Amino acid sequence: MFAQAVVLGLLPSFARYALALNVPASFENTAVVRQVDLGGTLSSATTTYTFRALADGAQEYVVTLSKDEGDKTSWFVPKLKGSDVELPAAQGFDAADQVYYYKIALPTPLKRDETETLNVATLFSHASTPWPPTAAQKDPVRLNFEADMLLISPYETLSQRTKIRTPTPNVGAFSDPSPPSIYAKDAQATKSGSTVTYGPFASVPPSLSDEFRKEHQRRISVKYETSSAVASIISLHRAAEISHWGANLNIQDDIHLKNGGPTLKGHFSRVEHQHTTYYTQQAPPSTLWWMTLQLPPGIHSPYFIDQNGNVSTSRFRPSPSVPQDQSPFLNPKALDGLKPGTRASKFSTLEIRPRYPVVGGWNYTFRLGWDAPLNDWASYDRKSGKHIVAVPFLNTFKDVAVNDAELKIILPEGAIDVEVFPPFPVDSVEHSTHVTFLDTVGRPAVTLKKRQVTDKHDGIVYVSYAVPFSAHLKKPLAVSVATVGLFIFAFVARRIDPRIHTTAASK
Amino acid sequence: MLPSPEYLAIKATHASATPFSPIVPTSLLPIIAFLLLTSTFGLGFYFTTLPKATVPIHEAGVAGLASILAGFGVVALFCTVGVYV
Repeated sequence: MFAQAVVLGLLPSFARYALALNVPASFENTAVVRQVDLGGTLSSATTTYTFRALADGAQEYVVTLSKDEGDKTSWFVPKLKGSDVELPAAQGFDAADQVYYYKIALPTPLKRDETETLNVATLFSHASTPWPPTAAQKDPVRLNFEADMLLISPYETLSQRTKIRTPTPNVGAFSDPSPPSIYAKDAQATKSGSTVTYGPFASVPPSLSDEFRKEHQRRISVKYETSSAVASIISLHRAAEISHWGANLNIQDDIHLKNGGPTLKGHFSRVEHQHTTYYTQQAPPSTLWWMTLQLPPGIHSPYFIDQNGNVSTSRFRPSPSVPQDQSPFLNPKALDGLKPGTRASKFSTLEIRPRYPVVGGWNYTFRLGWDAPLNDWASYDRKSGKHIVAVPFLNTFKDVAVNDAELKIILPEGAIDVEVFPPFPVDSVEHSTHVTFLDTVGRPAVTLKKRQVTDKHDGIVYVSYAVPFSAHLKKPLAVSVATVGLFIFAFVARRIDPRIHTTAASK
Repeated sequence: MLPSPEYLAIKATHASATPFSPIVPTSLLPIIAFLLLTSTFGLGFYFTTLPKATVPIHEAGVAGLASILAGFGVVALFCTVGVYV
């Protein structure tokens, strides 16, 4: 690996391209269709690759994304059409070609001329920007989505097109690059209802090289209107504290929320806001107002506070505790086959309203926390003598992108043999010591950090640790020592006579 | 984005292991807190009435017992009021 990098660095640039991502021409794309569903901060795309094997035994299919697109992609799940099983994909970035590649392992090798269809679901974070940058309070929220027109692939593509679907039928201007691409058979860009279609483009050759992109790649943009407010979370820092004496798991989120729509032009009119919300009981699309969170069952004592103190505009509807295998957070199949009413009973609902309406460009930081019984989340493995606790990575706000997520799991004092198992690759895992009430040496804490997180990253982090019995006694011992100190002080104080003695004046 | 084999293994272990149960049942903690802390208060008061002896065995015994009861009582009290230590 190192020698290869040294040799690559020493070569002149033209030779370096020759050594870049080398994908064997074992497939030919017969049709590639990308369906993009635009949203606020998160937009989803489903790309269907229909391909034909050119050689026997072809089993590795490579999907490539341009650097711009790959930077914004925060979720990538390939599945075969008709199957629900996710395929393993090895991800990488080729610096020479400036492309992200995903090497997908197909379950069975294909024979020559055999066809297969692959569905790839992706999520883009912040692919849309507010347009125009400022807007008045009662204006609709308009965003601008920009992407590349042609889908790049290491294989020849006989036909490809991109369909962009907007959330409302109000589609603003959409770009039609001119001169039209040589691969476009008929009209390059067409609009039908709320879908803008680019293509079809016929017989596009393998498009990884820089020269091809400079000549044929175009930038497209679609300006659209959203029906609801655009929420964006700048940072979400979660702390999960485990208590063995109280058998409790406390989860606390520090959230920095921002309205990702156009920045407010002019001043905020309270009268206008009250007027709209009084009659419609809904905030206009420019304003973030009530938000609903689905929390686990069995939780109690939620708190919603900010820098000023408690925020009383919240409604909590608790749901009774369920066994671990029935909890939708621990078992994704727990909701299968349930009626909607029963399904809803497996979640607690918390509706929160920020202290002030968050209009375009405004920020709001707050803290949200709740307690849960530890037997719903942790279990004790008798064979290894270790406790295993399941901690939800983050609470997802629907369709909201999180720029910076952090989870700090604070284990009981004296926990040893700590092992962390994140559900997806995280950017960093750090171990530290956290000191809180009645601690002597401090508690071991594990911090997981991840950037560019979506609402699909609601996995469970498992932590296994062992706590010797003597560690449990540390806390009562600390308090006992303090109390003994108090008694020693009393013991000494009883024997000191502070009275002022007047000696018998013997003159 | 597929979870690793170690993740699937720990997930299976977690599901098959027995749910966590504390050493002292949480429903008993308020009563334990009340009993231990009233005992501590009583013993503390008794400590102050003891005669001042040169070899303080009785005083040390009362102080030690009161401290141990205070230790467990304070931990139970913290858990009762919602500061889960």
